[in-house]
Parts: sequence; C-alpha cells; structure tokens
Amino acid sequence: MSRHAQENLASVLLLVFFAGVIWMCQDFGPRARMIPQPLAAFGIVLTLIQLVWHNLGSTAELRMEMISVQAPDIPVAEVLETPVKKPSWQREAAAYGMIGVLLALTFVTGVMPAAFLFTAGYFMVTRYCSWQLSLVYAAVLTGSLYLLFVVALQMQPYHGLLAPLFP
Amino acid sequence: MIEAIVAGLTALLTPQALLFMLIGVVYGLVIGILPGLGGVVAMALLLPFTYGFETAATLALLLGAHIATIWGDSVTSILFSVPGSAKGLALCFDGYPMTKQGQAKRALAASATGALMGGIIGAIFLALCIPLIRPVILALGPSEYLMMALWGLTVIATFSEGSLMKGLTASVLGVLVAFIGMDVVTATPRFTFGSEFLMEGISFPVAMIGLFAVSEMMKLAIKGTPIVDRSLVKEESTVWQGVQDAFRHWWLVVRSSLLGLWIGVLPGVGASVAGLAAYAQAVQTSKTPERFGKGAVEGVIAPDATMGANEGGGLMPTLAFGIPGGESMAILLVAFIGLGVVPGPDMLTKNLDLVFSMVWIIVIANIAVTVIGLGITPWLARLPSLQANLMVPIVLGVCFVGAYATRGHIEDVVVAAVFGVVGYLMDKYRYSRANFVIGMVLAVMIERNLHISLTLYGRDFLLERPIALAMLLFVLFTAALPFVRNWRRKRKVVS
Repeated sequence: MSRHAQENLASVLLLVFFAGVIWMCQDFGPRARMIPQPLAAFGIVLTLIQLVWHNLGSTAELRMEMISVQAPDIPVAEVLETPVKKPSWQREAAAYGMIGVLLALTFVTGVMPAAFLFTAGYFMVTRYCSWQLSLVYAAVLTGSLYLLFVVALQMQPYHGLLAPLFP
Repeated sequence: MIEAIVAGLTALLTPQALLFMLIGVVYGLVIGILPGLGGVVAMALLLPFTYGFETAATLALLLGAHIATIWGDSVTSILFSVPGSAKGLALCFDGYPMTKQGQAKRALAASATGALMGGIIGAIFLALCIPLIRPVILALGPSEYLMMALWGLTVIATFSEGSLMKGLTASVLGVLVAFIGMDVVTATPRFTFGSEFLMEGISFPVAMIGLFAVSEMMKLAIKGTPIVDRSLVKEESTVWQGVQDAFRHWWLVVRSSLLGLWIGVLPGVGASVAGLAAYAQAVQTSKTPERFGKGAVEGVIAPDATMGANEGGGLMPTLAFGIPGGESMAILLVAFIGLGVVPGPDMLTKNLDLVFSMVWIIVIANIAVTVIGLGITPWLARLPSLQANLMVPIVLGVCFVGAYATRGHIEDVVVAAVFGVVGYLMDKYRYSRANFVIGMVLAVMIERNLHISLTLYGRDFLLERPIALAMLLFVLFTAALPFVRNWRRKRKVVS
C-alpha cells in the first residue's frame, strides 16, 4: 500500500474513532459530555481538513515552521540527515509480533518468567550470543528485576494463567 | 529568622540525617531511572520507614529521594526518549536529539547543573517569599487555574512540527483518552465499556511507557542499529561543556526557576505542567526558536531548572495551608501527620526552623544529586550506543514489569502494549506523541476547573473574575505569537 493510501486510511480510522466518541457521548448527562462531545466534533473537523488537504491541496499552508527549520548556527549531526533505511513490512510485522509474544508470555507465565523467557528467546533468535550466554544474561536481568521490584519495592508479582498448575 | 535558618541547618548536620539523605538520594536516582516509577512512588514506598527517627532525618530521606527522582527521570528522557514520568517529557524534545548527535554527556551535565541551579534559586526564593506569597495564592480560584491549563494547551502549537492539523488532532486524542474512566464531577463512567479496570482511567506512567519506551524499542528492533551508532557519530561532548552551558544561560535558568517556583506554589498544577511550560517559555523567548526540537541545550536546561525549583514552590502551600502543591507533597503531608507536625500558619511562626530545614534539604540534596550525577554521566552516556539486539529485550522487559508495578494491575501491561503500537503508528505517520501526552495531562485539570467555575460564577465567569480574563488575553497572545513569528519570518524571506 502506498504512503498516500496509508495516510488516508489513518485519517478514516480517526474519523471513525471521533464519530464513535460522539455516539457514546449520547449516553452521558449534559455535564459529563460537555467537553468530550464538542472536542470529538472538533477532531472530526481537523481530520476532514487534513484529509481534504492531503488529497486535494498542498499541506504546506498548514505547516507550522516553529521547530522544523534547521538552525544556521548549530551543526546538526549527520545522523539526523542520513537517509534511514525504509523499514520493510516483514521487519514491521516482526516488531508487532515481538510485542504480541511478550504480552502473551506475560499473561500465560506471569511477569517475571515472561521477562526471562522473552530476553533469552530474543538473544537466541537474533543470534546476539550463544544459547548458554543468552540464558545467563536473561537470568541476570530477571534476577535484578526481581530484586528491585519484588524484594525492594514489594510488588506483588502476577503469576500468570499457568500458576494453578504449579500449586 | 536568622536563628531559624541556622537551627534548620544544624538539625540536618547529625550523622543520622546526613546518612538518611544520602540513602534517599541514591534510592531516588535508581527509582527515577526505572520507567513508570517517579517521585510519588519513591516517597510512598519510603513512608513505612519514616516513623521513630529524628524529624529532620525523616524529611531528609523523603525529600532527598523525591529530588533525586527528578534528575533520574531526565536521564532516561535524554538518553532514550523514555520519560520516567510525565514531568520528564519536556526533556525528550531536545535531550534525545542531543544524544543522537553525540552530545549525551553535555546534555546530562547541563540537565544536572540546571536542576541544581533551579533547586537553589527555588529554595532561596521560597525562603524570601514565605511571608509574601499567601495573599497571592488566596487570590487565585478555579477560573484562573482553568486559564493556566488552557495556556498549557496553547503550548501545543509550539511543539507542532510539520502539519499543524496532525498536531492538534493528536492533542484532541490525548484529551479524549484522559476522559476514559469515572468522571470526577458527575461520577459518570465514560468510555469504560463496562470494564472495572477502565473505571480507574488510563494511568499516565503506563501510557507514557507505551507511547515512548515500547514504541521506541519497536523502532529500534525494526532499524536494527543502536540509538547512537558510534561508527557514525562519536561522543565528542564533555561534562564540563554541559556545566558551562548551564552557567552561560544563567538568565534562562533564573526565568525558568521562577516559573517553576510559581507553578509549584499553585496547588494541584504539578511538575509535569511546569516542565512543558518551561520549555515553551524557552522557545518563545529565544532569538533562534528554530533550533529547538533539534538538540538545543536550552531545551534541556529550562525544564530541569523549572522542575528543580518546583519542589521549593510545592512546599509553600503544603506547609502554610496544608494544601499539597502536588501528589508528592500530599505524601509529605501524610509523613507530617506521622511525625506529629501540623501544617498551617504555625509552621511559619512556631516551626519556622523545620521549614528552613526543608529549604536546606532541597539545597543539599540538589548538590548531592548533581555531584553524583556528574560523576556517573560518562558511564551513562555510553548506554545509547549499546547494540539494538541487547537493548530491545532488556528495555521491553523492564517496561512491562514497570507497567505492571505502577498499579499492580495486569491489564496495565496490555495498556502499555496498545499504547506502544499507537505510539509507533503516531510516530510513523507524524502525529505528535508529545501533543498527545500534553492533552492527557491537562484534560482533567481543564474539565474540573471549568465545572467548578460554572458552578461558582455561572456562564459569565470570565466577567466575574478579572484575573482570569487577563490570563485569557495572555493565553490568546501567546497562542498567536508563533503564527506572528512564522508570518514575519516568511515575509523576511520573501523580501
């Protein structure tokens, strides 16, 4: 999908979101909807303007140049100017998957085991180091997190959906 | 008064008080660097350990920890664009670009020195203003607070890089997201879909962990290279440069500190607004505002000076009226009760030495944080050059545990993940994440004060409150200023 189409899709999703907010506001009393409802309507107006300008006109007139002009006297490092490699959809999908896996692990195994499994797994999959070292690094990280959050800060850890299997 | 100043210092020069302050400062730095845990959490966790010790030592422990978390927050904002709490947000705008330009040491040192100078200026002004400030606080009501919050929202225009429409849309989204949960005025559950968890609303720290930390790690995983590739960008700055920067911009530090002190004095406004307001005034008063957002050191110094001074200001209403200046000051009030200290006018007469002990704690704790901070800066500055494959799982692990630890709800981990994806998409399509968070922070304040103003003064509350009207005119002026500057600059280019 082209960038242009993606931008349009994002605008349409925003329109749906704002319309949903207005629809839900109908159930609230006049005071409870006093700010959200007009604000959502304002959001619709903004998104429509964005959509129209994006497709029919130039966006230049809608730009604020306050912090988008490069300073003449401060050298900005080349790293900001070097063209960043365009992320492939596979890498993007992998990033979403990574968050999904960590979330699933957290729910199934609990907070601390998930941190261990995810870290060790990530090191192994990306071949950052050998599997033995991966396990050692993950154990050190999990141990530190346990000491900080559970021992020092007295957090009650979530034990996950598998906890009843290990009484 | 001189006697009280000396007595206040003497009470702190006991081995117990000095040891407690050191423990508090080190503990506060660690908590500040952990995502999602800020000064409030640091103080709340210390409360059980505050009974049975000297009063000055207990206050040194609590305030020392709280002051140290401020710089701890700044560290992660500067190095990874990951604010530890809402108040660290403003440091991301210029601190992170400085890190990417190989200026991490300079940014961290400028941040620590700015916070120290702000803390000291705040403490001095607090000491001087104690007898004067009471009538000013009492003159302000909800209408004036509403105007202050609106002023905070106009700041958004300053942050809108690229499309103004997208910037405003992001702030509208942020305000609407903040309305999820029980409406504080009408007790109506809004946008909760019947969920008990959503009744409590979206936690700010969790939302920020997602929007900034998780989404940045997603970007890093996709890019596959470190935040700072040392083969491309060498770390060429020094700690000394940062220290010099803070002194070179001394007038900005003074202005920002006074702003922080003022915002701290106002009950319920909070340091998160202070940091953003400081950044906005730094941009608006700069002769070269176009440098901001691209690694201007003033963008680091101003928020830190403001937040340093904010603590001194926050003490004022807490001590004088028993009205906490923010969440952390509310916890301090709880500690006072445990210690048998009653806030109120007596604090400024009979217990003046205790008040000055706190002023001294702010000064000494700030010095300790800066000394430790400058000492560890060279090591901290190496962190962004760690390989992406090492950083991503470690930071994500800490973020998810941190999100859970914030309130002890497993659903908060889902919220962090969802906001991570939202933050990544916002960044990809250039909807400002900063605007989103500013909207979230100010939404509740705007709604609450609007309702109270309408109830107290009716629809024409602005006519009833001339100070609020004057503030509204100021809001309109500052909102129009960037547009006028933009127009002038374009005219200059054309001519």
